[in-house]
Amino acid sequence: MTSKDDSMNLCLIGWISVLLVAGQAVVTAEVSVPTAANVAPVLRSATVLVEICEQGLNDQDAWPDALPTATESFGLPAFGIDQIPPKYVDDGIRGTRPSPSLIRLSAVVDLPPGKHRFLIRARSASRLSINATLVAETPFAPKNGGDGSQADTERLVPLDLGRGYRFAPRGEYEKFAEFETTGGLVEVKFEVFAGGREGKSPRRVEVGETVVAIAKSSHEKWELLTPLPEVIPYTDSAWEDYRVRVIKTMTEYSSVNRASLRGQNDPYWASRREAAKLWLASVPEIPVPLPLDRFPSENPIDRFIAAKFADVKTQKQHDLANVVDFFHEVRPLLENRCVDCHRGAKAKGGLRLDNAEFAKKGGNSGPAFVAGQVQASELLRRVTSIEADEVMPPKGKRLTVAETNLLNRWIEEGASWPELPLIRDSFADQVDDAGFIRRVMLDTVGVPPTADELRKFLADGASEKRAALVDKLLDDPRWADHWMPVWQDLLAENPNILNPTLNNTGPFRWWIYDSLIDDLPLDRMVTQLVLQHGGDREGGPAGFGVASQNDVPFATKGTIVSSTFLGVDLKCARCHDSPTGAFKQEQLFQLGAMLAVQTLDVPKSSSVDPVKLSAGGRTPLIEVTLIPGSKVEPKWPFPDFAAPGLATELALNTNDRREQLAALLTAPQNQRFAQVIANRVWQRFMGRGIVEPLDDWEKGTPTHPELLQWLGREFVRNGYQVKALARTILNSAAYQRAVDPTLREPDPLYSASEPRRLSAEQIVDSLFAATGKPLRTEPLCLDLNGRRDKSNAVDLGTPHRAWMLASLSNERDRPSLTLPRLQAVSDVMSAFGWRGARQDPSSTRDISPNALQPAILANGVMSQWLTRLSNDHGLTEVSLREQPVEAFVEELFIRLLSRSPTEDEKARYSRWLAEGYASRRIEDPQFESPPHVAPKLLTWTNHLQPESDPAAQERIFAAEKGDPPTRRLEPQWRARCEDAIWALINSPEMIYRP
Amino acid sequence: MNTELNRRDCLKFALTGAVTSLLNSAYANPPSTLKTGKAEHCIFFWLGGGMAQVDTFDPKRLGDTKSTPSRSGSYYASIETTVPGVRVTEHLAQTAMLMDHVTAVRTINHRVVDEHAFATNLVHTGRTISGSTVYPSIGSIVAHQLGAVDPSVPPYFLIGIPNVSRGPGFLGAKCGYIYLTDTRTGPAGFTRAADVDTARSVDRLALLEPLQSRFPANSTLADYRTAQVEALRLSGPDFLQHFQLGQEPDTVRQRYGGEFGQRCLLARRLVQAGVRFVEVSHNLGFINGTGWDTHNGGQLQQHLLIRELDTALSALIEDLARKQMLDKTLIVVGTEFGRPAAFDSGGGRGHQATAFSLVLAGGGLNHCGAYGVTDDECKEVVENPVSIPDFHATIHAALGINPHHELLDGSRPVPITDGGNPIAKLFA
Repeated sequence: MTSKDDSMNLCLIGWISVLLVAGQAVVTAEVSVPTAANVAPVLRSATVLVEICEQGLNDQDAWPDALPTATESFGLPAFGIDQIPPKYVDDGIRGTRPSPSLIRLSAVVDLPPGKHRFLIRARSASRLSINATLVAETPFAPKNGGDGSQADTERLVPLDLGRGYRFAPRGEYEKFAEFETTGGLVEVKFEVFAGGREGKSPRRVEVGETVVAIAKSSHEKWELLTPLPEVIPYTDSAWEDYRVRVIKTMTEYSSVNRASLRGQNDPYWASRREAAKLWLASVPEIPVPLPLDRFPSENPIDRFIAAKFADVKTQKQHDLANVVDFFHEVRPLLENRCVDCHRGAKAKGGLRLDNAEFAKKGGNSGPAFVAGQVQASELLRRVTSIEADEVMPPKGKRLTVAETNLLNRWIEEGASWPELPLIRDSFADQVDDAGFIRRVMLDTVGVPPTADELRKFLADGASEKRAALVDKLLDDPRWADHWMPVWQDLLAENPNILNPTLNNTGPFRWWIYDSLIDDLPLDRMVTQLVLQHGGDREGGPAGFGVASQNDVPFATKGTIVSSTFLGVDLKCARCHDSPTGAFKQEQLFQLGAMLAVQTLDVPKSSSVDPVKLSAGGRTPLIEVTLIPGSKVEPKWPFPDFAAPGLATELALNTNDRREQLAALLTAPQNQRFAQVIANRVWQRFMGRGIVEPLDDWEKGTPTHPELLQWLGREFVRNGYQVKALARTILNSAAYQRAVDPTLREPDPLYSASEPRRLSAEQIVDSLFAATGKPLRTEPLCLDLNGRRDKSNAVDLGTPHRAWMLASLSNERDRPSLTLPRLQAVSDVMSAFGWRGARQDPSSTRDISPNALQPAILANGVMSQWLTRLSNDHGLTEVSLREQPVEAFVEELFIRLLSRSPTEDEKARYSRWLAEGYASRRIEDPQFESPPHVAPKLLTWTNHLQPESDPAAQERIFAAEKGDPPTRRLEPQWRARCEDAIWALINSPEMIYRP
Repeated sequence: MNTELNRRDCLKFALTGAVTSLLNSAYANPPSTLKTGKAEHCIFFWLGGGMAQVDTFDPKRLGDTKSTPSRSGSYYASIETTVPGVRVTEHLAQTAMLMDHVTAVRTINHRVVDEHAFATNLVHTGRTISGSTVYPSIGSIVAHQLGAVDPSVPPYFLIGIPNVSRGPGFLGAKCGYIYLTDTRTGPAGFTRAADVDTARSVDRLALLEPLQSRFPANSTLADYRTAQVEALRLSGPDFLQHFQLGQEPDTVRQRYGGEFGQRCLLARRLVQAGVRFVEVSHNLGFINGTGWDTHNGGQLQQHLLIRELDTALSALIEDLARKQMLDKTLIVVGTEFGRPAAFDSGGGRGHQATAFSLVLAGGGLNHCGAYGVTDDECKEVVENPVSIPDFHATIHAALGINPHHELLDGSRPVPITDGGNPIAKLFA
């Protein structure tokens, strides 16, 4: 009895901690019955207490003698859980749980009298006890994770207890038992092992679908065991609903958990804010131009932009006589043939042709051109020279006669080189409300408005409604989803669901996501990144520090840090000094050494053979000043951006190299950092950076230098909150200008918005959101039963937003390792410039058009899912509504394109859909019940079994076939309606931002 | 200026790469010493898992898995071929009769053995990963350099499973492959849904038309429409008929054998239609359980895989020869690494990259049955080592591409191969 009492006390204590930790309301007892004279009344539980125990366990596949102590606990509605919340450590980042850990679910449950059947499911060892009596148990999973040919064929097909029975989804062990009771309160305890060992290596600390289900004596149907009075059926659809509740609880629990851990560092960050304030007070303000009469505006951004526009317009007046158009004709030629070498701080021959001012100044051979004097222009002499060591460009084809003639005329006319092209004479009008809401939602949350959101916004008469919408969207958690791809690309997040190989990192997407959802100020986020703490396989920033199969991982990470946060591209310096930039290989290795917290050796593989370099005669284009075998010590390589001494002032732990680096990167004095980030945020909304390229400022000149400085200051002033910057930009007239459809690229003067193609993620997310078809794929995991060593397999979850996809990693070329539904989505994303495998960082995507893009949207498997009116398709319900066909057409346009159809469109679509419209509904359709066929488990352990490839092939065909069409619509009309949907989702408007 | 026109053309052929190849003028000035071939197409077999050269194209004395300890060596007897002195395994009996059109390059070597994905990437791109860029696969490079033979078809197809190693890397999506995973399905993106016939497709386009024509002609949105027209053409009957294997005589289909053979037949049809590069994956693991990754028990039924390869390869060579296309079509048998002559404790074989075989056939090369010599254990190169860059250079040269030509990754020049030199003997 004592142990029972103990555990009971523990349970009660646990419940109190639930109250404290997750802040959940605890229902008071509905039933209270004394169990024994000397004990307090036992209360029927208000939740199932879930406790995570990390201590007192070993890896010997044995139950501990003593009851392990819980380190965390929270409450759930029932005995059902398929994931455990991440462990948070340090500054609220994901850490590593010991493998194995033990999860204990307990509650006092009211059972009716009778003999009940119980079902338990668990990935590995588990035991269910009722009133301290062992009722059922499952065994420890074998220690062998298998080479893939594991003969666990009996679990390739899970147990089937007939229609309505939910199949074990991931090869969990299943056990049944009967338990008889006279009725009343019983104490139920279900303990399960999470993780364990493959041989000696730890497995992921995860649980499969871990459930206690009950079929009560008088019933056939299974339901989840719960202390609550409600009935939660254990069927596929009820489980989905239940899971939503579980995830919500865990999300809240984790959020509180992170906040509480961060609390300990909050005083430090408050002191950093103070330091920033002091610095701001010590430097002169960036003056904001006065508003011009023609462009009255309160928003400082608009004042900067109006001032520049007026300037360029004045300059343009002087050039009217010229025939040669510099920006259309001369600049493209220079860019294609000259600028690669003649740019930046180390331009060849000291001549820069990437910038008007420097070009006019000339290089070592004097001025490149003299306005009006062709004979005196070195540029022309060199491009027409027949001397092999003089002719320019030194490599590749010579300039054509047409090209040299063009240069000739340009110089004759006076070599006009205006600062910026004046593409339009005036600013475009503001985008209309419908266009604005679609644009701003795509830009902030990544999906277009729902029909309701659009109608409400249009009907809203408030004058400040745009600003109010911006505020609302900045608070929307989907903001995090939309920013994920940016950080995944910049930081080269590259997890592999199988063995890490091709420069793979850990899945630190989860850390990025947590940071975004918590609105972590960027300086703090960067600090966490640089410190690289937490679990590298669990999603902590430690995963950033990993680069599998890379000869100098930290040099690679150095290039990421420098380009992302400082706009310094050091990729070249990976093996040699930059041929055009000012930076040397040694500087990259110093930075890498800071990240590595140790001396870095320069291997041969990270250098260029000098013999190869000088082969060919001409002076080599690149130089190697750091010979292989050199040892490079940690050192801050950018004293121009921030004085090294600042580290001592600002770092939390001044002796830690990474803390030093983080402090120097994020110091308020480091204006480069604030401006680089501000420029990235700007580009995200405005289509181009004030400096381009975003990641290589040495190559670019800011179009609006004062605006850039001002934005950087504002960023510091607002505590490095990206959302504060976003708010200013989104509320500007410049952001809200209508699209000029003839613009082929963003106007550097922002006189109008350009047609901007959506990103791969926006396209996929928008299509699912607008049609209301759920995105349903396989889990992004090839080790569904968690048998592999955690270093060789991760589970990236089942994506509900496009950013959650990753490389499907089937270099093994095995059908049994395919994930066909994910492949269908991945095909669309890849066609539109997404990279599943991010071996290197990128600031911009490949947005060039190709025929595969429209093809995959017209015919691809994903489009077939989106077009077919299945029962779960959002437009099926809409099409069944009682409404005139014109209203239905209106609804389709509103939902898919966020606008009403034109009269012509309305007429055409209504005509098309009118045929059969009156009789489209089938009132009592013969429902074909969904087939009850056990899905075959395809996972690493059995993927080499001979049955696996054919099973995978079936799965591929099933994915291609998609869901069956609804029977509630008459098939011929349904087909017409699908044709209309097809046309709308293939409209160019669907993939371009308004 | 006709920049608009150029842009349109680029767009139209974006998929085919034809314009890029003209602009780059890849083959303007090959070094005078470089001999190149005249092949126009390449069919690249991929034997994922690591083909055991000792059990296929580089046979040694017979081994024995039953003795204790097991004795290393070939699992099967070897046979003579049409090239005197060159022997192959008995399960390649049909190919053996055609070895005068084949060269087994027996001395390929690299250092990556632990991981299939890493080695697969290396053999496809010719380089180890760097973290600074993503290198393109050989198929993408060829597509980039030459475009399709017939500009109305895409240049690069994959019959197999997509992965990054087969991708275009820094060359961008326009140099990527069009894929299909099975000959029973059409190419992804270019195959209309089963319930969409031509009439329905016409109806759909009529509904789409007003949505497309809302934009001025000279705009990126209009460019997209041009791309849509191109996509539509490629998903129409003229292009898709190439995928109708039913158009082939039964005798031809039977000669090619099972699904892998049918893929090879499809590859031939694509090449005939003007496709430049087709990668064909031999990934039918159910035949022996493990596919070519013959650890442990995978060894037992390996001969069935080899025979399937034999049937398909020999059928393809004969068929191409019959159609006067063999000299214009280079066939390559690729795999990520080889396997040792010694057996593992389960009677199968581990991985080995110090020496292994990749195979070339047709393509107008001066074939010699086998090139390079390995030691008795098939483990070390004795004569004529061939690196992966050399092997790539050989393929490029056979197709008339200068392997030293520099591609541009942004502004960074990247030679097509990492210092690879073609096997001179094959160009004699």
